[in-house]
Amino acid sequence: MNGSLGMLAAFALLTLTKSTPIMYAALGGMLGERAGIINIGLEGMMAAGAFTAVVVSNLTGNPLLGVLSGIIVGGFFGFVLGYAATAFKVDQIVAGVGINLICTGGAAFGLVLLFNQPGASPQVPGLGGNYWWLIVLAFLCAIALHYGLYRTPWGLRVQACGENPRAVKDAGLNPLSLRLLAVTMGGALAGLGGAFLSVGELNLYSDGMTAGRGFIALAAIIFGRWTPFGSAGAAIVFGFLEALQFSLQGGSIPSELMQALPYLAALIALAGLTGRVRAPAADGVPY
Amino acid sequence: MKRARRLISGPIGAIVLAIVLAGIAMLIAGVSPIDGFSALFFGALGGKSQIAETLVQTTALLFPALGICLAFRAGLFNIGAEGQLIVGGLAAGGIGEHLHAPAFISIVVLLIAGCIGGGLWGAIAGAMKARFGANEIISTLMLNFIAIYLANYLVSGALRGGGASGAETATLPTNAWLPVLIPDTRLTIAILIAIAAAIALRFIFQRTVFGYELRASGDAPQAARRNGVNMARMTILAMMVSGAIAGLGGATIVTGILHRFNTALSPGYGYTAIAVALVADLDPLWICVAAFGFGILEAGGLAMQASAQVPKDAIHVIEGLIILVLAARRYVTSASEREATQ
Amino acid sequence: MVAVADASLELYPGEIHALVGENGAGKSTLANIAFGTVRPDEGTIDAIGTVGLVHQHFELVGRLRVWQNIMLGREPRKGFTIDVAAAKARVVELACDNQLEIDPDAYVEYLPIGIQQRVELLRELERDPKVLLLDEPTAALAPAEIDAFFATITRLAARGTAVLIVTHKLQEVINFSQRISVMRHGRIIAHMATEATTVDAIAREMVGGELPRIAARSTTEPSACFAAEEFGAGVGSGRIEQASFEVHGGEIVGIAGVEGNGQSALADAIAGVLPYSGKLSISGTRGIIPQDRLKEALVLNWSIVENAILGRQRNPGVHRGILLDHRAARADAQSIVERFDVRAASLDVAAKTLSGGNQQKLVVGRALHGEPRFVLAYQPTRGIDVGAAALVQSRLVEARNRGAAILLISFELDEILTIADRVLVLYRGRIVGRFERSAIDRSAIGRLMAGAPA
Repeated sequence: MNGSLGMLAAFALLTLTKSTPIMYAALGGMLGERAGIINIGLEGMMAAGAFTAVVVSNLTGNPLLGVLSGIIVGGFFGFVLGYAATAFKVDQIVAGVGINLICTGGAAFGLVLLFNQPGASPQVPGLGGNYWWLIVLAFLCAIALHYGLYRTPWGLRVQACGENPRAVKDAGLNPLSLRLLAVTMGGALAGLGGAFLSVGELNLYSDGMTAGRGFIALAAIIFGRWTPFGSAGAAIVFGFLEALQFSLQGGSIPSELMQALPYLAALIALAGLTGRVRAPAADGVPY
Repeated sequence: MKRARRLISGPIGAIVLAIVLAGIAMLIAGVSPIDGFSALFFGALGGKSQIAETLVQTTALLFPALGICLAFRAGLFNIGAEGQLIVGGLAAGGIGEHLHAPAFISIVVLLIAGCIGGGLWGAIAGAMKARFGANEIISTLMLNFIAIYLANYLVSGALRGGGASGAETATLPTNAWLPVLIPDTRLTIAILIAIAAAIALRFIFQRTVFGYELRASGDAPQAARRNGVNMARMTILAMMVSGAIAGLGGATIVTGILHRFNTALSPGYGYTAIAVALVADLDPLWICVAAFGFGILEAGGLAMQASAQVPKDAIHVIEGLIILVLAARRYVTSASEREATQ
Repeated sequence: MVAVADASLELYPGEIHALVGENGAGKSTLANIAFGTVRPDEGTIDAIGTVGLVHQHFELVGRLRVWQNIMLGREPRKGFTIDVAAAKARVVELACDNQLEIDPDAYVEYLPIGIQQRVELLRELERDPKVLLLDEPTAALAPAEIDAFFATITRLAARGTAVLIVTHKLQEVINFSQRISVMRHGRIIAHMATEATTVDAIAREMVGGELPRIAARSTTEPSACFAAEEFGAGVGSGRIEQASFEVHGGEIVGIAGVEGNGQSALADAIAGVLPYSGKLSISGTRGIIPQDRLKEALVLNWSIVENAILGRQRNPGVHRGILLDHRAARADAQSIVERFDVRAASLDVAAKTLSGGNQQKLVVGRALHGEPRFVLAYQPTRGIDVGAAALVQSRLVEARNRGAAILLISFELDEILTIADRVLVLYRGRIVGRFERSAIDRSAIGRLMAGAPA
């Protein structure tokens, strides 16, 4: 009895651990999309955050500073996407693909440059047993975003921006700077998600460690109907599938198929849900 | 002529700017840009075997880029060339072992298998969009991952070759290998097939009813729908043909380079090909030129890694910069065009 | 292209000033410059106090509530959060002051057009503007709503607001304004006091000469080319239902109604892009003129030649097997350009480089090319100058005279009264009135359009 309860608790923790990076990225992407900028670059921003956190943690010996720098670098690439999308009106999909290449390539480059070893970094100081508070923080972020979006003037303006930026302009506000801020904050959240992977859950960076979580987050946003709680809930479902895959490893189901499960689930849900949910009207539309 | 001018003000200018940015990045990283770029240049074009290897990379990029071009022209953001490439290669590698036929027939059958594999993989996303309205960017991304894991599963299980050392299919019979174009290199007739495909694609766009309707559905979907284009059918068809071209590319890598299927098939050609297609402004013939340019980067990157200690991944940074700068340049040029007409 | 040049205009507190001119004369540009959306290349705008602008196409956020739309950017705060109670109270107060009843909690996207305009007006009034600019404010309103709207505007003016109404509806100008400025080709060419002028005089100033004549009509033939029976399509407020009517060869049937009463559902179903219930039969070839030439009719970055065959790409004569016949396409384009006076440097220029009028002539020319038996014309003269509009209307009448059945859907009652042989009135998705040519009664149609009994 105690044993199975313990296993259940361990599985619950594993689910939360696997949900957290997706949750951060999904919340970040959701915020950008609510303001009207679709962020295909989440995956790259996560990688950038994860890599930077490792570098700074290695340099300073303080993983907390690593997390902080991961947030900043994620925010920087969010800003790059936002600036490209607002000042230059570039295609947001194209810019996102470019940012993914720059971030993942740059991290791989950086591994060789800074640690002189390709593939993975050496072990650096990680958060160790304290990583759980980043899980709590993810939930707090979801609550804060819910509160921010639906209760504050800023949230009202962001929502209006994603629906009809001209209405925002007519109200005497600047839709471009609102969008830029939202997508920068979104990038920072994705960077935080990446930092959680590298110095929270583990204590190193390796190539491909984000493993498509940024893309899964894009699906989570849709299933979460572009709401903070919905996106966070969808992230937990994906985390659950990933935890399941870990727990069932070595079982009768081949691990490759288990690995494909979250993507398969996303694909099926995408087919089932589309049409019943509605994206912000000006999502991805340049202003 | 007009197009050439536009390319200089757009893509070529973007590439120059990206190279400058990459040079600055090298400086920051403590590598002399002259060393870095000369290693890249000589590594890609320094001799017969280097040029052949560059053309191998060109070919590998060309097929998925042409597939992406077709989908993008139809207004479909097919980010799934990577998965379509893999499934195409998997289809060819999977049946190759069991094929005992004369050389020509073997090769044709394997290439067709690649088309079918990639085409089906693309059609899934197309059908999901046509039937449910599912966003093809997300679905093709998901299908990329599913393709990789599916391939991993199959080559470590059902399709694993008897004599294979790792997770890969058995070696193809030699008469199913693509003929080599330059002896002692990996360059095969695949490049000729790719160029033929580019010419065919341009002809399809310009001269056929299908190409006309495809461009209409991309350029003005509302107008196309109201003028006799069956959008659901076009969506599935375009995604299928797009996937088939990428899948053909996967099959040429299997029959021409690896002579078996394993997941080393693509180091991300399907993603780089997006940049190739966009740099060339979605024009099939310019895509050949752009693929050669990116082929230089890919092949030279490996050489640069060996001689100048600049890791190959730095190339992805350059590619990403080209995409970003290009996307921004396009806005700048269209803005100046607007001002000129006012 | 210069949209507006040397425009001088003075507005006084308490006065309703009308700015009239043809489509494309530069009225909206001037209004946008005054509001600050468009930057003037030279000259200045001096306004005492804030300026409010009510757009022709409202700039509202459909998925937000009424109070959120009105208070956007000026939200009352309580700590970090919006003071929702105060915001709603402000909206109610504003609504009472201006006698504009509104539910602050309603979602804007579910409101009828007339109420949405009320929301947009309240949003501007919240800023207590000294100058109020109204861009084609009555375009989407029924006659009864128009009267209520002007009652509100008159009250506002009486309180000292300077009001500028941009419009092309001259009767409203005569009824409600004090002064009138006329624009033509981007210049203000006349100022006049309303009491000293007439509709005809203003029209002459606008067009700069006599209005073009429309081709004369001939007799109709009895066979029905188009028949709808118990026809229904669409969902929500834009649906159409239980519609039964016929269009015979040699007649133009006009569908009158205020925008948003089911016209789009009807047009989309006929164009084959919306499923429908009931029976719909169309005999012979058809030509479709969609409402939105930029999105629904043309591929803007294509040449005139490529656009000229869109819709007929699968017809014999345009293709040979799987290949397009470029020579045939060019010949088609040439004949359309000549017959419909499409002015372009060559057949190879992109459609986006043409003016709105020339684009529309190309669209209409394409639809009428090959003499189709049935023609659907949805807002065929929307947003084009009087000359182009007269040509389009003439060609429609000519098509009718050679035996085509034409279904004309228009929001401009004047257009329908000018060329239609029969009139059906559409209100909330139902046909509420039918008028033969001899029995057409303008005021009865107007009442039906507003939902009142004839």
